[in-house]
Amino acid sequence: MSQPLVLGIETSCDETAIGIVRGRTLLANEIASSVEEHARFGGVVPEIASRAHLEAILPSIERAVRDAKISLKDLDAIAVTAGPGLVGALLVGTASAAGLAQGLGLPLYGVNHLAAHVSVDYLTHDLPTDPTIALLVSGGHSSLLQVNDITSSITKLGATMDDAAGEAFDKIARILNLGFPGGPAIDHDARNGNPSAIDFPRGLTTTNDWEVRPYDFSFSGLKTAVARYLEATPENIRADVSASFQEAVVDVLLLKALAACKSSGIDSLVIAGGVAANSRLREVAADRCAKAGIQLRIPSPGLCTDNGAMVAALGSLMVSAGRPATEGAFDADSSLQVERVSL
Amino acid sequence: MTISLVIDTATSRTVVGLVNGDQVLFEKFHEGATDHGRAVSDLVSQALLNNPNPEEVIVGMGPGPFTGLRVGIAFAQSFALAREIPLKGICSLDAIHIDKSDYTVAIDARRKEIYWARYSGGVRVEGPAVNKPDEVADYILGRHPAIGEFVRLSKLTNEPAPLYLRRPDAVPTAERS
Repeated sequence: MSQPLVLGIETSCDETAIGIVRGRTLLANEIASSVEEHARFGGVVPEIASRAHLEAILPSIERAVRDAKISLKDLDAIAVTAGPGLVGALLVGTASAAGLAQGLGLPLYGVNHLAAHVSVDYLTHDLPTDPTIALLVSGGHSSLLQVNDITSSITKLGATMDDAAGEAFDKIARILNLGFPGGPAIDHDARNGNPSAIDFPRGLTTTNDWEVRPYDFSFSGLKTAVARYLEATPENIRADVSASFQEAVVDVLLLKALAACKSSGIDSLVIAGGVAANSRLREVAADRCAKAGIQLRIPSPGLCTDNGAMVAALGSLMVSAGRPATEGAFDADSSLQVERVSL
Repeated sequence: MTISLVIDTATSRTVVGLVNGDQVLFEKFHEGATDHGRAVSDLVSQALLNNPNPEEVIVGMGPGPFTGLRVGIAFAQSFALAREIPLKGICSLDAIHIDKSDYTVAIDARRKEIYWARYSGGVRVEGPAVNKPDEVADYILGRHPAIGEFVRLSKLTNEPAPLYLRRPDAVPTAERS
């Protein structure tokens, strides 16, 4: 099937998201977010997210089908994020997907959230991207991947050993009283600051780290360094702190991503996940990749954060590649490893 | 006669049935407090072998442990959407059949509490509520919702939303000490 019509469901965190694609054409991308309900708690509360998913999912499916101007009966397959993510949240998606698939008599693909983030890139052009290096950065994940074949073969080169990059943004935003979610707030605040005002540490970049864990990340030391700086410098300029913190994150992410391109000989880099919406990361990535002769692909900001289009995109690629659907009933897997592109 | 697909995941038991009027065509359950996801899918596909074209879906809306409860409701509502057939919700405690007219039933709510409701003349007069066991008098525990009861009750009532009865555990940042 060259142009399969696939509906994708994503509920791994706080967005209830439905996407519909035909082949590589995006037809609908419906997102209901419960982020405002979590703001006063300073982070995502799993039970609040799960309740919001159950409330939002049916209306979201109906809106997506209307937007795409299709009928559910036209679909060729259903795809759903099976993990990793919050288990209670994932289960609303997998159960809804199973109900739809059984109701419509369609194949169901349980797919990996991280692989889906990378695959959304395929909706923006007709060229095969793989093989590619992929930097996946969000509130829950910070991974560096080697994608040999997006439908079947992904190798994890490294990941964060403590906080995810987006989590670091949230925590620093909290210390700086910038609110939740922290990413957009710091991005905005940093525009009036000097990124080289304060020399914050770049985690895991000593000579020994480059030998032992070249592609792993660590952001907890950076978080502590920012907190210490604020304590020691009551007269600080907040925009400078935001800009310098952001620069430290961006710098280390790209140092390692470009090192992975160089050592693997793969001259293509995809950056995806919520942090890929960060304007400074996009700017510095474009600059460094151009200098290194690496082809850079970053989805539009709306497709970087969690969405259903990416799940539908991966499902569509799976169908086109002739990959088998997930056999029988399956459970969500909150700690699904990225090597398992699908169940 | 209407063919009804019944799904309940309010207790550790996933219950699926297919009923044609008074006649139970299929009835099966799976025991396992974290198995609802797989079990619903599995049991419904078995039920559909019996008759592939249910005309309505009846689902237990709880109360029950949240994660499992949502699995049954999510599956039921999207199946009904796909088939363009009606969805009806029932309080799962109401569907526990007790051969008396005045009684109180309870199911495990975890955290050393129970979900319960009291009935008089076969009609719910108190609850559903969640309490510590010693706050509820003479309750019957350990019984499960019955397929036939869901179908009978669906003619009388419709519970549109999940019965959580507890607020999510979370403390706002401003109230943390």
